Amino acid sequence: MVRIKNRYVVVRIVPEKPTNILKIDDAVLAKSVLRNVKKYYGDYGLGTVEHGFRVKYCNERTKIAIMRCLHRSHRTLTSTLPLITMIGDVRAKFHTLYVGATIIHCNKFIINHQQRFLDEMVGQIASAKERKDFIKRVMEFDLEQ
Amino acid sequence: MEKTYPFYDLCIPYQKDEKALREIIKEAISLGYKTIAIEQVFDHSRRDATKRVPDIFPPPVTLKSLEDEFKNQLKILQRLTILYVDVSVAHAMTNSLNLKKYDLVAGQPKTDAALTHCCTTFAGDLVTFDTDGGVKLLVNRKAYQIGVKRGLFFEIKYGPAIRDSNVRKDMIKLAHNYCVRGKTKSIIFSSGATNPFELRGPYDVANLAYIFGLSEDQGKNAVNKACRQLFLRAQGRRIGKTFMFVRSTGPVVFSDSSDSDDADSEKAADDGSDENEEMGNFVDTNSPEPPSKKKKKLV
Repeated sequence: MVRIKNRYVVVRIVPEKPTNILKIDDAVLAKSVLRNVKKYYGDYGLGTVEHGFRVKYCNERTKIAIMRCLHRSHRTLTSTLPLITMIGDVRAKFHTLYVGATIIHCNKFIINHQQRFLDEMVGQIASAKERKDFIKRVMEFDLEQ
Repeated sequence: MEKTYPFYDLCIPYQKDEKALREIIKEAISLGYKTIAIEQVFDHSRRDATKRVPDIFPPPVTLKSLEDEFKNQLKILQRLTILYVDVSVAHAMTNSLNLKKYDLVAGQPKTDAALTHCCTTFAGDLVTFDTDGGVKLLVNRKAYQIGVKRGLFFEIKYGPAIRDSNVRKDMIKLAHNYCVRGKTKSIIFSSGATNPFELRGPYDVANLAYIFGLSEDQGKNAVNKACRQLFLRAQGRRIGKTFMFVRSTGPVVFSDSSDSDDADSEKAADDGSDENEEMGNFVDTNSPEPPSKKKKKLV
């Protein structure tokens, strides 16, 4: 049996002006990444990346997203990410956190990463209820599995 | 040798506005950089030739407050970039004392002759290129090979390349020229970022290697190992051929006085200075040491 090799790229979206909630959904993210691939690599690049490309996950609070692409084209994708300065209509950049071969490992990485993020953020929230909500929202990633 | 930790970003232009500089440094920390260099530019060709000053190079700016603020998170180096057109700069460089205060010295040649000189006899550590005026100079194979053999490093700035499409083309041209001329050795990536938004994470920079024609390994080395080598080379240039040096760190504290003979000799060696010294087996090297660094043998 032939196994289709994928690469999962975990990125953090860093907007130019810090905001709490980012209004970017999967479709907008996918569209802007593919548009930039076309800009920098032309039709050939878009063709190789588009096949198998998908945004698997996008959290608007932690601003973390997972993108999947085929193993053949992942270098095209990862080298495009630093050149992007606009996502949708927000000025933002990508910060690549991790490139993994299975989504399980990406999950493990993200859970660790979000734990650290929580440690930073929870201190800033005063009321207990809000804090509970916040933790739930951030960690809802685990429930999806 | 002094410890530095990955990742490195060896070009952050100095700005008068300390607030803006602080923002950039904060962003660099959050992205995972541990060593950065603040760059000052000195234009040798534009100086006043009629005035005779003892040291034409400016002393490094004081970044004491920033250094103290980010003491445990980040190491800040000082770097001087010398723009020049002819070889007369070499004479000035040998006589300069201010130059030794910088951690890194980079050369930015403006003409072909200067570029050849830069690769073959320049007494700095790094060769960089003008990004604003377009890349008209491309290094030839022989000069490049000599530069690599001498341990020089060649810099590619990605910050301006992200900003502007023309600069991007130029930088790609430049990087591929290294690839064609000599299989891309001794390359480092640095940001040249003037605002926090232009900084990218170390892994992003390593990934950029793909468009610059480097392999994955070379790309990672360009933000990590090569920069460390560059730092070591620069240290070697400043203090001579050594593999260990002793530097004073604080006031003198004699904790052990059981061996009075030794203590006496130590005091004599200290010569009344108020500073304690980290001890180490100093292996000498028949090269002169700057006066501030004292050598001492461990008893």
